[in-house]
Amino acid sequence: MAATASEAVVHEFPLPAILTNPASTPPTLITQGAEGRLYKTTYLLPSIPSALKYRPPKPWRHPILDQRLTRHRILSEARILSKCRRDGLRVPDVYALDESAGWLMLEWVQGTPVRVNINQRLGNRTEDIEDDEELKDLMRRIGSAVGKMHSIGIIHGDLTTSNMMLNPPAGKAETDNVSGLEGEVVIIDLGLASGGVHDEDRAVDLYVLERAFGSTHPRAECVFGEVLDAYKKSFKQAGVALKKLEEVRMRGRKRSMLG
Amino acid sequence: MAAASVASPVPHLPTSTSTSITPASNTSTSTSTSSATSDMAAATSKSSWIALGCEGSANKLGIGLIRHTTTSTTILSNLRHTFISPPGTGFLPKDTALHHRTEFVALARRAIAEAGISPADVDCICFTQGPGMGAPLTSVAIGARTLALLWDKPLVGVNHCVGHIEMGRDVTGADNPVVLYVSGGNSQVIAYAEQRYRIFGETLDIAVGNCLDRFARVLNISNDPAPGYNIEQLAKKGTKLLDLPYVVKGMDCSFSGILASAEALAAQLLQLGPEGAGFTTEDLCFSLQETIFAMLVEITERAMAHVGSSEVLIVGGVGCNERLQDMIASMAKERGGSVFAMDERFCIDNGIMIAHAGLLAYRTGYRTSLEESVCTQRFRTDDVYVEWRD
Amino acid sequence: MAVETIELQHVPASYRVYIALFRNVKNAAFLHQQLLARNAEFEYAFIDASTIVSRIHLLSAVFKAVNNSVNGALKTPNVHSETVVSLSSSSNIADAYRRFGVSPSTTDLFVVKIVFPTDTNPVPASADAVSKHLTDNVEGDAVPATDDTIETITDVRAVRKSYKLNGLTWLDSIKDELVKRKEIERLVLGGMALRGV
Repeated sequence: MAATASEAVVHEFPLPAILTNPASTPPTLITQGAEGRLYKTTYLLPSIPSALKYRPPKPWRHPILDQRLTRHRILSEARILSKCRRDGLRVPDVYALDESAGWLMLEWVQGTPVRVNINQRLGNRTEDIEDDEELKDLMRRIGSAVGKMHSIGIIHGDLTTSNMMLNPPAGKAETDNVSGLEGEVVIIDLGLASGGVHDEDRAVDLYVLERAFGSTHPRAECVFGEVLDAYKKSFKQAGVALKKLEEVRMRGRKRSMLG
Repeated sequence: MAAASVASPVPHLPTSTSTSITPASNTSTSTSTSSATSDMAAATSKSSWIALGCEGSANKLGIGLIRHTTTSTTILSNLRHTFISPPGTGFLPKDTALHHRTEFVALARRAIAEAGISPADVDCICFTQGPGMGAPLTSVAIGARTLALLWDKPLVGVNHCVGHIEMGRDVTGADNPVVLYVSGGNSQVIAYAEQRYRIFGETLDIAVGNCLDRFARVLNISNDPAPGYNIEQLAKKGTKLLDLPYVVKGMDCSFSGILASAEALAAQLLQLGPEGAGFTTEDLCFSLQETIFAMLVEITERAMAHVGSSEVLIVGGVGCNERLQDMIASMAKERGGSVFAMDERFCIDNGIMIAHAGLLAYRTGYRTSLEESVCTQRFRTDDVYVEWRD
Repeated sequence: MAVETIELQHVPASYRVYIALFRNVKNAAFLHQQLLARNAEFEYAFIDASTIVSRIHLLSAVFKAVNNSVNGALKTPNVHSETVVSLSSSSNIADAYRRFGVSPSTTDLFVVKIVFPTDTNPVPASADAVSKHLTDNVEGDAVPATDDTIETITDVRAVRKSYKLNGLTWLDSIKDELVKRKEIERLVLGGMALRGV
């Protein structure tokens, strides 16, 4: 399945200027998301790993639109991460930023994207997935994390299992955890996030996750209900947002009316 | 209907495009009816198939014939007749359906003639079962049913979007691309996984082509050959980028806000003129294209990043736009991949894509009975079980 | 030697960063006066050490100032004043000097010296030279700038006020002082990064 393709990027890109300066270890390109490139590097000292999110100019975009979007998104992401952090939601710390140069330096969150953990867990299995208690528990942690985020007035805008890290419990090596599902769910990549407390926005956020989940982990769709159950318990307004989700689903399906 | 008198064709071979295709497996789920059994017996020994495809989900009526062998695909004929409404108007279902009914027989005759085959050589009649506009879909389905009964051939109902995708894969040779499907009725980013074309992103409200068409109406831009084409030509002369809403949510996007803003600016332009408004029709077309295409490129790129693919295939009428193709190509190149774009023969709705996708399904044993041949306006791309792919 | 040479990640090789920490400083008023007088001999970032929660906190400010200097994007007269201002979570420059800069009443003092070759000064000051100048001019005890020492100096209440960290109930509810301190540091870094944007 294509969705399990390796994240390693073979293509070579020129580094952003900031990363051309000396560092203890050379920066490594981790992903080339649509949002930009994510490098693993160090911040201040060799002992502090960090993630540098670089939004290179997109030459296919009109330069004015490009600058507008880049600046806006760097600042917006930083503001939102900072708000999440202050409101007690575990997200990557903001270390530094330069919106004109298009980069944001963030804490390096240990662990693997939840997508990887789920796929490892599923393997080739087609049966007993709906009874996998550990998997369902992970689903509930996802639901709670999303609920907490919504409760503090943040809409993610790009919820997928690639945009959540499973941060293994302290003392557990990264490699140990890949087959396991324990750890804290850390929502990352808030590059498309916005402030919002409307049930409609929350519902669309959930709908995006639901669809991404279904297309990424078709065989695990049967446990997605756990995400919504945990979400429902996580804050007062959650039930209303879930009601709205039903409407959004209907509307989504209506969209293919015309050919 | 006069289809009964379709003449035996003049024996000449049309110029045909031959492209390679992944051999489809011959495994099939045989149905319990006896007629199906004999059908299947024939299918297993066969090495060449011909399908006739009928498309009419929107304002284009398309009929085409295709031949598959185990290793190749040959287009025998590919004809289209488009219903064009006057500037400032859209095509209404009733008028479009009338157009399709009126043109169906003549077009079917020409398609058969050009293909240089006889109806007896045809293995199945494929038709668009949805999604699309109800009345035009139904008109063409009636035509297809008539041919099937007349010639005693099985029917194969085809999902319009899957038709675009399969045709695109075949024509371009793209193996497992992320598909950007952009037309008057649809805007989807699709990738294949586990026997289905999964929709990763789509418009949350109106389709991108619908947005362009409706914008064209406000400015009385001609619908001939297509409003989007004329916007594209005007946009080439635009220079000033106007601020329009840019709405992307994950892999989804929204065009209704941008349409409202563009319409408001258009109204301002009509009222004040270019001097007074400070921008021209060309600038407005340019800004609209730059903004909405940037959104489409962004959601496509996000889907590519998500599934780890570096190939993109653009299908659907809006996919003809060269600016969009260039933008996607530039993005794909930066990701170390490439774009596969279709020329207008295939990007714009056509019968061949229906014949092609239908024949792929037919070869796996898929049939649509007369009772099941009802059209549906709502037919999700991911509703189709794709048995012919690994 | 009073000063420590710091090599920061992603800072151009031509830049040198020296830091020093003095306790029991007796002549803060004099040092403050040199800044006001723009005495070129005293081109330092003089920082009231009670406003600093950790080395990382201080070095973050240095990093930002250097980045602005490299980009030609200084918002203040030089890289040293920029370091002081970079500590602030607001964009108000005067407020930043007042909050984080040396004042006549400062007793614990962080000194940062950032040097790089310029046309007028192709060979920047060495650690020895900086150390000597500071030892000659700061009346106080030079101590190693360790996090343990910094911890005893920090005025946590003032820090929480400066970075608007009051009223965060989840923070107050952390029992483990070490964890709490680490959380404060993280929030401070975030506040600085955003500097009121």
